[in-house]
Amino acid sequence: MSDPKSERGAQNGRRPWGRVAGASLLAGLLVVAPRSAAASEDTPERAGTEVFHLDTALGRIDYHAGRGLRLGNTGLTIGGFAIVNAERLEGGESRGDLEGPTFLFSFEPVPFLRGFAELETTELAHVRSGQSGVRSTPGVDIERLYGEAGLNDALNFRIGKFQTPIGRWNVAPAEPFVWTTSEPLILEDVFDDKTTGAMLRGSFFPRDGALSYSLYGAFFDPIDPDAEAPPAKHSAGAYLEWASLGGWSVGASYFASETTTGKWHHLGGADLLWRPTDRVELTVEGIFGKAPRENGVLAGFYAQAVVETLPTLYAVGRYEHFEPAGDDPAIDLFDVGFAWVPFYWLRLKADYRFADHLDERSAPGLRASFSILF
Amino acid sequence: MARRLLGLAAVLALLAPTRGAGEAVDVVVIVHPRRTSQLSLEDVAQIYLKRRRFWDDGSPVVPLNLRSGTPLREHFSRVVLRDSEARLAEYWNRQYFYGIFPPATLASTEAVRRYVASDPNAIGYLPGSEVDGSVRAVLHLR
Repeated sequence: MSDPKSERGAQNGRRPWGRVAGASLLAGLLVVAPRSAAASEDTPERAGTEVFHLDTALGRIDYHAGRGLRLGNTGLTIGGFAIVNAERLEGGESRGDLEGPTFLFSFEPVPFLRGFAELETTELAHVRSGQSGVRSTPGVDIERLYGEAGLNDALNFRIGKFQTPIGRWNVAPAEPFVWTTSEPLILEDVFDDKTTGAMLRGSFFPRDGALSYSLYGAFFDPIDPDAEAPPAKHSAGAYLEWASLGGWSVGASYFASETTTGKWHHLGGADLLWRPTDRVELTVEGIFGKAPRENGVLAGFYAQAVVETLPTLYAVGRYEHFEPAGDDPAIDLFDVGFAWVPFYWLRLKADYRFADHLDERSAPGLRASFSILF
Repeated sequence: MARRLLGLAAVLALLAPTRGAGEAVDVVVIVHPRRTSQLSLEDVAQIYLKRRRFWDDGSPVVPLNLRSGTPLREHFSRVVLRDSEARLAEYWNRQYFYGIFPPATLASTEAVRRYVASDPNAIGYLPGSEVDGSVRAVLHLR
């Protein structure tokens, strides 16, 4: 029950007392709460490896490896991931980075409403060849921040900053969710990987699969834009995907962006995922058109194969062909390496990139990463 | 020649399914008796992948799994989701990037039956021999 005196105190500007009271209340709930809410066999538990739980008056507070900390019945779950990268490029340059931790906040007070945020701590630690010691220029980036409402599967409305739904890779591009240490060239500054605006999305379930769509547009000032690659002033796009329960899916993307001169550029893409068996995954993704910040037509694709050679050990190979806009020559790349996933929340990767010529976008060399979901 | 044959055998082994398709396990998908709509295998799969999140009347679906490593769950994943536990872990990792979590789990089939009998929005699965009048069977998987 709320205390009217405390409420008046807060209104009068005596917030420190309110904070103390709030902290005390929370501590009391956590420490002194009766164990009546203790989990029994009949209480559903979250999936994943439970590290600890605490039964409180707020409900069951539990932490599961790689699935985050759920704060009782509040609907809030906090998780995330962290990555350590190291690379030794042809030509002698070496570097290492700690990326993150990146925090994922998921708030679902009722099934029809959801809030989500991704906050990345940046530049916590990095070393470079030619520099002395470990350097740190920490900051925080808002990678995603949106709210979503939906009363059924066919129509959901999202507003805020979200991942631009183009192709397959960009939907979940972070290290722990992909098979190689570097992303394909068709994703590097070709389109705006994030959109600040609104999106309608939904799914239908005819026959043996799911037909999903996304329609989106950038209408607002971008939230925490990338200073090196600012997003287009306005943009709009659509993604359509058919995901079969038989282990394959196909998608088509369209992205239109307004340039600084007021002209609109158009980009199209297609992607395919095929899993012929449990141990083999093939992905192909291509893109063609005019990017927001370039005038010429670009085109490119990648084809990637992942094979589970031994349990938890995956061999990975990817071929890429990219024709940049302008006069730069086409680039051919081949990445080959492995990924070891001893637990669902831990991934170690190492791969070598071969390139037909040296280009700042495609520096050949050895790269490795260690990523953990928490 | 022998090396080529060995290489071909290795490729075929990688492409081969990992389990036989003829295992006869009687699993029944159950819902609350108040739920009268029919569900197909595909409907159940979309629910357990959390792509389909609502019943036809707009109520949120509450899918229930058994704990990881349970033979019945592995069979269910194979038949309904057509995937191994390792592949499904990859799927849920990608969903985690969006704050979407796998279905909750219960410790026993008895607990699943009791929970589904008490929650009109829940859906679970049991061995056929454990289904009783407190729940409604909507799909038999063999």
